[in-house]
Amino acid sequence: MNLLLTLPALLLLALVFAVPLLRYGWLSFHADSVITGLQPVPNGGANWLRLIEDERFWQNTVQTLRFAGLSVALELLLGLALALLLHQRWRGRTAVRTITLLPWALPTAVMALGWRWIFNDPYGPINALVQALGQPALPFLSSPASTWFVVVLADVWKTTPFVALLLLAGLQTIPSDLYEAFALDGGSPWQALRRITLPLLLPYAFLAVLFRLAQALGVFDLVQILTGGGPAGSTETLALYSYLTAMRFLDFGYSATVMLGMFLLLLGLTTALLLGRRWLAGGRA
Amino acid sequence: MRFRRLAVLLVLLWSLLPLVWQLYTSLRTGAALVTPQPGLAGWTLENYRQILTGDPPFWRFLLNSTVVGLASTALTLSLAIPCAYGLQRQPAGTRAVISGVLLAAAVFPYVLLFLALLEVARRFGLANHLLALSLPYAGLSLPLAVLLLGAAFRDLPPELEESARLEGLNTWQRLRWVLLPLIAPASASTGLLVFLFSWNEYPIALTWISRQELLTLPIAIARIAGSSVYTVPYGAFAAATVLGSLPLLALVVIFQKPIVAGLTQGAVK
Repeated sequence: MNLLLTLPALLLLALVFAVPLLRYGWLSFHADSVITGLQPVPNGGANWLRLIEDERFWQNTVQTLRFAGLSVALELLLGLALALLLHQRWRGRTAVRTITLLPWALPTAVMALGWRWIFNDPYGPINALVQALGQPALPFLSSPASTWFVVVLADVWKTTPFVALLLLAGLQTIPSDLYEAFALDGGSPWQALRRITLPLLLPYAFLAVLFRLAQALGVFDLVQILTGGGPAGSTETLALYSYLTAMRFLDFGYSATVMLGMFLLLLGLTTALLLGRRWLAGGRA
Repeated sequence: MRFRRLAVLLVLLWSLLPLVWQLYTSLRTGAALVTPQPGLAGWTLENYRQILTGDPPFWRFLLNSTVVGLASTALTLSLAIPCAYGLQRQPAGTRAVISGVLLAAAVFPYVLLFLALLEVARRFGLANHLLALSLPYAGLSLPLAVLLLGAAFRDLPPELEESARLEGLNTWQRLRWVLLPLIAPASASTGLLVFLFSWNEYPIALTWISRQELLTLPIAIARIAGSSVYTVPYGAFAAATVLGSLPLLALVVIFQKPIVAGLTQGAVK
């Protein structure tokens, strides 16, 4: 009876998560594109060989990892600072916590459009500032190096509150008498941060990194709207590549292969993260 | 003390300035955005008039997103609550395995699933049906929902249900009349998170819906951005982003407590 109650949900879960991955596995060994009349035709391992030699795939892999690595690192640092600030007691704390949550709640699509205007060349406010300082307007969104940073900035702006909330929840589980005892023993606040707060926060930081890293590796809405992957493909991510392969080039077999490639990358990274955590925990015990 | 004030100020500026800038842009004429205007010149509501009288008018997209959000939330909760309850009554081993799978699914970047889900939509004629979107949305929300609600069920004292059982209530009655009221706060948190997710979801809505009058808000916004022949008059875009943001801002301000609870429960438990 109790198992029966879980069935509808588990069925829908299987349909939404497991069936697609199995379907990709099957599709990745088939040609299914305009050339085959959009009918799947077995083609051995041709898709996978193409993936290995596909420069665009590897370039996008590097770009995706770069984006995810920098964004998550910044979100963790800023999120920790924000969590420490919100953990202290001061007037207006709840109101400020609500306000910091606003960027997280807005649709990515909405603010991606907003950022495009903010970094507009030459009429956006950032360039107005640049020009007020007597400099010529900067092409933020048409040079690869700066475009990349704008994408990171937009992601950090949106998701830092989420990381901060997770870390704040962690901070609130640390008993305050730990700090009192530490202070009585003559420890400075800075030492308390390093010796008590950070070690005890580690499980929460780990969870935040795990979740954010997976989401950042799959970044799609933000780049599609903010940069379209440009300029010259310099901000194209794996998710955007597989989307374009399917929807623009109508090559479903290869699109599925790219997605599975991305899935394997994700699997490898999370396994490394889990092993790293186990190793860290083992070293501590 | 002074340092904290500075930090709070920076946090507020960082969070609010981009939003304030959108609001400002939405209230300025195209000319005023390009060249500075003296005094009170350059302020206008024209941008709002333009998008609200468009074809379809902009409120249509807000309505679409609200409908999808509510349907997805209802479907998710009606599947997740029995599932979470049933899971709590499984042997510890089974429970641990299923929880692990749910956690992996909750973390999974779901954008990877869009192509196969699109095939499903085409095969079963679900494309361009607003309510059909709640199927994948509920599926994608279920892992987090079941985890959050499972934690809520676990927190209830077991004697409670036991005494209800001795009173002669069957499983359904116990769930409906004894347990459901007690997990109402967790249900509210979960529901809010599902609603926010559905409202903001992009890749699936992008591929499932093509008819202009059925677009959800994020897709409508992206289409405004992509199709425009203008590059400079951002006023109408900004008005669209402001109208698209207001319902969510209101939601966060009113329900910040349950939202924060939902976001953090998963981590603490």
